[in-house]
Amino acid sequence: MTMFEAILLTIITASTPLLIAAVGQLVVERSGVLNLGMEGMMIMGAACGFAVAILTGNSAIGIVAAIIAGMAMSLIFAALTLGLAANQVASGLALSIFGLGLSGVIGAPFVGAKRDAMPRLDLPVLSDLPIIGKALFGQDPYVYASFALTFGVWWFLFRTRPGLVLRACGESHASAHALGYPVLKIRLLAILFGGGCAGLAGSYLSLVYTPFWSPGMTAGRGWIALAIVVFASWLPWRAMAGAYLFGGITILQLHAQGAGVRIPSQLMAALPYLVTIIALVIIMSRRTGQQTAPASLGTPFVPDR
Amino acid sequence: MQINRRQVLQGATALGAAAGLGQPAFAQANPLQVGFIYVGPVGDFGWSTMHDVGRKRLEEVMGPAVKTTAVEAVAANDMERVATQLARQGHRLIFTTSFSFFQPTMRVAPTLPNVFFESATGTRTADNVSLYNARFYEGRYVQGVIAARKSKTKTIGYIAAFPVPEVIHAINTVMRGAWSVDPSMKIRVIWANAWFNPGREADAARALIDQGCDVICQHTDSPAPLQLANERGVFGFGQASDMTRFAPKAHLTSSVNNWGDYYVERAKAVIAGTWKPGDVWGGLNSGMFKLAAFTNMTPEEASEAQKVAEALSSGRLHPFDGPIVRADGTEAVAAGGRLTDDQIRAMNYFYRGVEVSLPA
Amino acid sequence: MRLVLTKREDASPWMSLVSPLVAVALTLVSGAVMFVLLGLDPIKALGIYFISPISDVWALQELAVKATPLVLISVGLSLCYLSNNWNIGAEGQFVMGAIFGGAVAIATHGVANGPWVFPAMMLAGMVGGALLALVPALLKTRFSANEILTSLMLVYVAELLLDWLVRGPWRDPQGFNFPQSVMFEPEAQALRLMADGRVNIGSLIAVVVVILGAILLGRTLKGFEIRLVGEAPRAARFAGFSEKRMTWTVFAISGALAGLAGIIEVAGTMGQLQPSISPGYGFTAIIVAFLGRLNPVGCLIAGLFLAVTFIGGENAQISLRLPLDVTRVFQGMLLFYVLACDAFLTYRIRLVRGEGAAA
Repeated sequence: MTMFEAILLTIITASTPLLIAAVGQLVVERSGVLNLGMEGMMIMGAACGFAVAILTGNSAIGIVAAIIAGMAMSLIFAALTLGLAANQVASGLALSIFGLGLSGVIGAPFVGAKRDAMPRLDLPVLSDLPIIGKALFGQDPYVYASFALTFGVWWFLFRTRPGLVLRACGESHASAHALGYPVLKIRLLAILFGGGCAGLAGSYLSLVYTPFWSPGMTAGRGWIALAIVVFASWLPWRAMAGAYLFGGITILQLHAQGAGVRIPSQLMAALPYLVTIIALVIIMSRRTGQQTAPASLGTPFVPDR
Repeated sequence: MQINRRQVLQGATALGAAAGLGQPAFAQANPLQVGFIYVGPVGDFGWSTMHDVGRKRLEEVMGPAVKTTAVEAVAANDMERVATQLARQGHRLIFTTSFSFFQPTMRVAPTLPNVFFESATGTRTADNVSLYNARFYEGRYVQGVIAARKSKTKTIGYIAAFPVPEVIHAINTVMRGAWSVDPSMKIRVIWANAWFNPGREADAARALIDQGCDVICQHTDSPAPLQLANERGVFGFGQASDMTRFAPKAHLTSSVNNWGDYYVERAKAVIAGTWKPGDVWGGLNSGMFKLAAFTNMTPEEASEAQKVAEALSSGRLHPFDGPIVRADGTEAVAAGGRLTDDQIRAMNYFYRGVEVSLPA
Repeated sequence: MRLVLTKREDASPWMSLVSPLVAVALTLVSGAVMFVLLGLDPIKALGIYFISPISDVWALQELAVKATPLVLISVGLSLCYLSNNWNIGAEGQFVMGAIFGGAVAIATHGVANGPWVFPAMMLAGMVGGALLALVPALLKTRFSANEILTSLMLVYVAELLLDWLVRGPWRDPQGFNFPQSVMFEPEAQALRLMADGRVNIGSLIAVVVVILGAILLGRTLKGFEIRLVGEAPRAARFAGFSEKRMTWTVFAISGALAGLAGIIEVAGTMGQLQPSISPGYGFTAIIVAFLGRLNPVGCLIAGLFLAVTFIGGENAQISLRLPLDVTRVFQGMLLFYVLACDAFLTYRIRLVRGEGAAA
């Protein structure tokens, strides 16, 4: 394996959980809902995924449990923000606190337990391609899932009618409602999808990335995923670019440190954040004045009758 | 139903009393209440977990003579309040287990003259403040010796948390140990900017292995780097606890923190009325930390490592004996001399041959 | 059967009194159930949670110390959110305030100085916080770069800058190279208000800021403008109010207040700079702002409430030996109830049987 392949492989590993979580959140925000509880849903996915995988001895069941855990968490959020029209920002942050605590309670018996990382899944023929073969097609199933999710979400949002309706809810829930679309139901489904993705991303951390459980192991990745959705201007393929940009800079700065580049480590660690800001500014300055956020983002919808 | 003001007040008083407030501290003379303040969660599987293991050991040994309380993940901002609250609940011995708690401890200690504080690392003692820490660097020297034997690429990868003296002198000592076997050994260092961040530790381990390091030392708490080493077929060392099971093929030894005996000693001193402020920096011979069983090593390699550990433990071998030359070429200590404890504790330079940059 | 919400024509004062009480009652009941399940005496547990943090003068002082940064930051954030500016980077502005204010303290360390030092630090802290906050404002107004991303990313940058300073140039020369600045001189520390206890002048400043904020929002044209830009941006444009100028104004104010909170925390509570100076105050303040309904007086109440839950959680760890995570779960539940009951204020909620029109 060449150095280039090795670095690419590491970047893919670092970017995948960000991408999965971000794509899920992208759908939520496209429907007009801002859920800042990503961190809480992700960490619950990590805890439940690991706990169930240990108890059943089966990673697949663990993954399912993680998705269910993420969805259950998002259901609390949906009950508050859709059912009772509570403030979305505060509800999301409360969800994060709740999730960090509950995951600690669930995970406590599993501190110090170990599991082997899930095996990689080599795609025949493709994984033998030179240079990118091993990196792109010799990966764990999550990586393929993240590609499929990105494509699926793009196709759904921009090539299907339900996707169009979902976007309409995000742009103007009043108009969507007037046209007879069930705004709250659509938003509920979007929130559940986002929760499931966050749970899945969390399970990647505790089952593949670092196969053990420890409290707070998401270490702020939920927040980064949130930023990536914004970076992407709510477009799925650009979310992929954002996740890989962030993951890529993160890994490259570690390599630079290992190679003995004489720059303070704090500046190195700040690079992913700075580069993301600069990249966003460059993208935006080329298309000034364009409003990209869903217009109804963050505002509760209560049907008049 | 009518509720008058008096009933409300009575209710509040009852709640207050139930909460155990306002009771004078001396009401709890027996058993000795011991408080522990942790910087991370009990489940961090590293620094705080091992202090909690020490707390449990204290309970186990002392039985009904002590009662312990732990407060997790306390920020330095909140430490004074937590310590005062512990004291108000009758705790007379409080272990503040992080350097970030040192200044808050020094501020709060004079206001609680009847409480004895034990700060895990610090820069000075006070009437009721002791310092304690372990000479983990002795374990690092052994790691260096083992690494030099096991490495084929002659390059050690070191995942460091932060550029503080504790980490800096550990990196230097690993290399000193390695050079004692093979002067051509090299090291690559990545700063994780965290004591505990499993994902970043794993990323750092991947980067180091990709750059040709085949023995990974970690100065961070999670088992992630060791697991990575196992997956990638290189070697590594466990940190804080015995991490053998996380890496059956990669684990060489672990530096295992063992605070329990010290906690028992200090609790007994308080009960006997003989507690005095001290500054304990315990090496391998103190039992404050131990080396886990050597694994994945030939009998010769293991016995060599064992001999080195014994030499360090007995004091025959000292990792800070001169000559020591700094990276900038100046001499830190001449041949025949030895760095003082304070010089070791304040070390802010790398040795010549350790090519790593430091901030500012 | 399902819930139907109808917007209340005008929020009744009776409801605004009842809703928090309902939230409290629900919390107490489910908290009691949770504590019984954990095998604890529910009365004692609830007492520790909610009464012990307000039980005596010392506890009240600690409550003020904990609530001060939350209140200061959330008042500023309220202005942002009212005018649709999503500043979620108050944590970074808090740190930047501590850095700028700390610079004054370190520069005057050991030289002759007077009572002007602490005011100068506060001023510098406000400038620091405002400068960092103006970066997202600039990027938003000039390049339409979304402020959620830019303000959040700058949090990490500010934290790393502080980390570098205290491990490098600002390291205490006498501190054995540990990562900390010098201890600030007495003139560079916030004035303590009482002989024993930690409450300092910062808490008074927070109250003043609440009053000023309430006057600004309720009694001035600027306050009207802020609310109008948020609620009806088109109308605001017709009225000749500039959205861009508004963005600059609210980011500057909220950044300055977060920076002020930062320097007060450092000069009042810690007495020096350390690598980490905030247990997430900048993020918690976002909840405080919304719980306080983006109203300065509401922020004061919500800040105190959040502080009670934090200290109650600590005390529960001490007196009940509950793990931290259980106290967090309880805190999360508490917030859910409060947010849910808030809905009763704004909406009339009815249970409807059978299928209605699609919601």
